[in-house]
Amino acid sequence: MRPQAWNEKIMRGVFFAAASTSVLVVAFICIYLFHNGALALTKIGLWNFLAGTVWRPNIEIFGIFPMILGSIYVTLGAIIVGVPTGILTAVFMAFYCPQKLYRPLKIATDILAGIPSVVYGFFGLVVIVPLVRDFGQALGFGGNGNSIVTASLLLGIMILPTIISVTESALRAVPALYYEGAVALGASHEQSVFHVVLPAAKSGVLAGIVLGIGRAVGETMAVIMVAGNQARIPTDIFQGVRTLTANVVIEMGYAADLHREALIATGVVLFCFILMINLGLACINRKSMTKKGK
Amino acid sequence: MRSVWKIFQRYKNSPASVFLCIMVFGSALFTFGVLLYLIAHIVVQGLPALTFSTFAWEYSSENASVMPAVFNTIIITVLALVFAAPVGIFSAVYLVEYAEKNSKFVEAVRITTVTLAGIPSIIYGLFGMLFFVIHCGLGFSLLSGALTLSMMILPLLIRTTEEALLAVPDSYREGSFGLGAGKLRTIFKIILPASVPGIFAGIILAIGRIVGETAALMYTAGTVAQFPHSIMNSGRSLAIHMFTLANEGLYMDQAYAAAVVLLLLVVIINSFSYYLAKKLIRI
Amino acid sequence: MKIKSMLTCGLTASVLTGLLSFSFIGSAFAEWKSSSPVTVLSREEGSGTRGAFVELFDVLGLFQGKKADMTTADAQITNSTSVMLTTVAGDEYAIGYISLGALNDKVKAVKIDNILPSIENIQNGTYTISRPFNIAVNPKTQNAAAEDFIAFILSAEGQKLVEKAGYIPAAGQKEFVSAKPKGKAVVGGSSSVSPVMEKLLEAYKLVNPDADLELQVTDSTTGMISVINGNYDIGLASRELKVKELEQGLKPIVIAIDGIAVIVNKNNRVESLSKEAVKSIYSGDTKTWAEVLK
Repeated sequence: MRPQAWNEKIMRGVFFAAASTSVLVVAFICIYLFHNGALALTKIGLWNFLAGTVWRPNIEIFGIFPMILGSIYVTLGAIIVGVPTGILTAVFMAFYCPQKLYRPLKIATDILAGIPSVVYGFFGLVVIVPLVRDFGQALGFGGNGNSIVTASLLLGIMILPTIISVTESALRAVPALYYEGAVALGASHEQSVFHVVLPAAKSGVLAGIVLGIGRAVGETMAVIMVAGNQARIPTDIFQGVRTLTANVVIEMGYAADLHREALIATGVVLFCFILMINLGLACINRKSMTKKGK
Repeated sequence: MRSVWKIFQRYKNSPASVFLCIMVFGSALFTFGVLLYLIAHIVVQGLPALTFSTFAWEYSSENASVMPAVFNTIIITVLALVFAAPVGIFSAVYLVEYAEKNSKFVEAVRITTVTLAGIPSIIYGLFGMLFFVIHCGLGFSLLSGALTLSMMILPLLIRTTEEALLAVPDSYREGSFGLGAGKLRTIFKIILPASVPGIFAGIILAIGRIVGETAALMYTAGTVAQFPHSIMNSGRSLAIHMFTLANEGLYMDQAYAAAVVLLLLVVIINSFSYYLAKKLIRI
Repeated sequence: MKIKSMLTCGLTASVLTGLLSFSFIGSAFAEWKSSSPVTVLSREEGSGTRGAFVELFDVLGLFQGKKADMTTADAQITNSTSVMLTTVAGDEYAIGYISLGALNDKVKAVKIDNILPSIENIQNGTYTISRPFNIAVNPKTQNAAAEDFIAFILSAEGQKLVEKAGYIPAAGQKEFVSAKPKGKAVVGGSSSVSPVMEKLLEAYKLVNPDADLELQVTDSTTGMISVINGNYDIGLASRELKVKELEQGLKPIVIAIDGIAVIVNKNNRVESLSKEAVKSIYSGDTKTWAEVLK
């Protein structure tokens, strides 16, 4: 064989090895998590753990149902706040932004991505919490501001940079022909952007959303500062909640023995949740792909 | 460039377009309004505590200097990128250029990468502590921290690079093959350069995550506030510096000052990456 | 183009000023109303501060036949002293508790049974709400630098620093004579103990510059685990050691006593609370400040 062909073979192997690394890493973390969490699950009982509504580690009652609900509520809230705003802002950046403003705005979104979650947390605590408190009391809900709404708002803001950045590069990757064609056919600027370019960039936009949701589900440091963290089922959206991640982070520092194992088991549950979300999205994606194929 | 009036005239026939236009501008306003407010909040709180002594070489409990932390942050960022960027970019190349589209393997990698992205950072921290710190015997060190973080940013890099590669039109590949270039040559000379902007968008997001990370680093890189002698020493990054200052409520002003420095650092690192990206494109 | 960007700038500015003024007006002009519900703030389960607080105020009861921490499920949970401080400083109806050493002038410490929490009152035995700060060593591993440092902490000089940092000395009239050992030792654990430990380390380095001592700020449990597996030489804990940790050979040493202060917002009219009142707030029997003031 010619040396060049060897090169091709070797590099192919290198690329394959790289791709396998991520699978290996996940497998590794999986094994670690399940190994540590399984023990607690067998001691507590899977059903008691998942459906139990009482969380009292000091007398060894571990029920994480309120936290599961909490994670779902807060993530949904963050999606409602963050996803449309993020996508629309990306559209703004790609198609509306005056040239002079573009650079500073771009730098600004990059900064947004680099601000540590602790800073977001204090920002939320000092700025958003009082706002939501006043707003909630004006609506007659009461509550003291550390609530689902606050956490959703804050998380929605935190996932913006990921969604904006990924969506914008996806939009820019759509050939200009698409836009020009649409305009030439008499569509307005908006019609061309929203009906032609945005659908064409769907895969990238979806990737951005998935990464954003991942960040929202996994984020902790900021959420625990503003969510109230009560381990009980909330009855309205101006009440506090505790998310699965918050449960892990808040108590890990002092937990020992079964309590610690139960917290790692909480991590396992979270992991399964994320896996389920991703499998679901992959299914949706595949379905729409085959539709397109027809 | 048209005037606003002319733009509005164009919308007479399409109310939906007007609505969408307003939504776009509204969202952008919200995003950048919040952003400006956030930055203003940090700067207003942090500037008063930001003095010359904040940048002293030695950290002490009397003078919470940020210099060692700045230095550690840069080292950890560079190390983590050195580990993760090649792996991430190469995986994406494999997924897009080599693997069969929608094969089981591609699907598996895709799902595992997004799953990695959603694992809370404290779990990475605990895993890193057990594996790198204790099992591999690296101890609390910058190296353990960087390795843990490189696992954390891997999915981000793979996903964004993949999108960037997919966005390169097939005509590029066909053209290159048509001119007799091999697959490797096509990848390194045509496809990767064409997708540099997308890849760098991913790298900048990754830098953001590294610089802002606390939970994962606390249990791996440790929290020593002095200059490290080597990458096998423990050292705190700026975000951890901030976190430990703020945590007990004793050094809130210094914590905000550290946040201001952190913002500056992000700007500097990002502009440097842009500069590098531009250079790369020219090649 | 020009008009477009001017429009954008103008709108941004107005949104900003709106946000700013709203958040200021929101809290500045409201009057303190005793009919408002109490916002109860607590630390996480397992926290040393919470354990001591619950024990000392007797917020205990029977739950499913076991003696348990009966803190109300409506209590907001945080795992950080600064979040507790910031929330109480920002919420006029909040009540919380923190380490006496972390008390600042942004909140008000209430008297308990008419006794102000202070170092003197704890030392003369009138203020009884306090807990120990522990360090733990593993007798199996020998480290000359660590031993010398512990001797320094327990000496008159070390304990003077403890007092200066706002805590109550636990031991030591002995003068310190350093054996001047060389070598490295890692000190790490609870973030509550870390600030005073930082001061002690700095002072010790002046006495014995040859020793290379490192401080790792994590949490009590990580501190203990790391001493057991040899990563740390001295572990810090703001709680009592668990039975399992003692079984694994850890030897605890009390280095200081820390008072716990009950804090409220500065606008709160309450100056003093009885132990029973605190208990009834934290067990959820008292819901509003009016009931407390009766």
